[in-house]
Amino acid sequence: MARFSINLRDLVILVADPSSYMSMLIHSMLRGFGSNKVLEARSSTSVLQVLTNQRIDILICDSRLPPHGGLPLTRAIRRKQDNANRTIPILVMTSDGRETTVKLARDAGANMVIAKPMSPGSLYDRLAWIAFNPRQFVDTPTYFGPDRRFKIEGYPNGVGRRKGDKEVEIGEEAGPALAQGDIDSLFSAMRTGQDT
Amino acid sequence: MTSEARIFPVDTNFQQMARRPGGMPRDRAIERAEIEIEGIKVEFDEWLGRELAELAVAVEATRDGQHGPERLAELANRSRQLRDVSATMRFRLLSFVADSLCELLDSIAAEAEFPMNSIVCHLDALNLSARPDYRELRPDEVPDLTKGLRKVVKHAST
Repeated sequence: MARFSINLRDLVILVADPSSYMSMLIHSMLRGFGSNKVLEARSSTSVLQVLTNQRIDILICDSRLPPHGGLPLTRAIRRKQDNANRTIPILVMTSDGRETTVKLARDAGANMVIAKPMSPGSLYDRLAWIAFNPRQFVDTPTYFGPDRRFKIEGYPNGVGRRKGDKEVEIGEEAGPALAQGDIDSLFSAMRTGQDT
Repeated sequence: MTSEARIFPVDTNFQQMARRPGGMPRDRAIERAEIEIEGIKVEFDEWLGRELAELAVAVEATRDGQHGPERLAELANRSRQLRDVSATMRFRLLSFVADSLCELLDSIAAEAEFPMNSIVCHLDALNLSARPDYRELRPDEVPDLTKGLRKVVKHAST
């Protein structure tokens, strides 16, 4: 399989997370990937302010971003008709991997959901997936966003997690949270026919 | 298909620019990201100390009977941040304890009783696992602690 690389140089990336240290962590990962223009925001109101004032190339936002949450923010960005950033890729990060949350993110217009805690590998793969898999947009009275009828046929470089990838571990799984693979599956082809 | 739907191709600036030649191959990007993360470990202690202190204040406030939905949400958010950051930094014991606290707080949301003792027990375990000599341990290296926390969560949620 061909090896793909992503080139993040000069792309403006907005990281929106309520935690200063988590933002720093994501910023560090992106810097490692070659990114040189990363902005940070701690609230959805700050994000909207930034989007009003300048061009952003991709938004990486937490699903619980205060005060309104990352999903209403995603919906607001997609719905606002005079917004130059209306079609930017939006990657939603969530600690709440419940199926309903992932579906809500997709239905709000997110391009992809990434589960927290995240590893550099999982972030790279999702950025690469967004870069190499442009999706059509759908505009209906009830939805504006990437076509939800798509299928993930593996990440550009093969698979989401590789033998050499370092594990990110948390405690024993006890709740109904989904693994990243399940989240990706949920993003694939579950709503056939609903967009149109 | 309804006539109201409009479907159109979008190739954003991100997609066009990210596909330019000269990008960072995956393995090298991850290796560099790991180095960058190592570089901010020195700031982790300061952040962790601040987070634990603020968590203790939030817990103390609930002791005064202020354990409404907003206070619980604050506790849950702080616990999630601790779990996510420490897991990404690979401080496994710390992330385990924070995850256990998340589970405990999630169970409270559906229950009327507020298990203050269980929360304080987690706070103590967090402070212990935040110590440099404990932080990098795996949960299975301190079985008494991990089993104890599991029992506490199970008891509180039944």
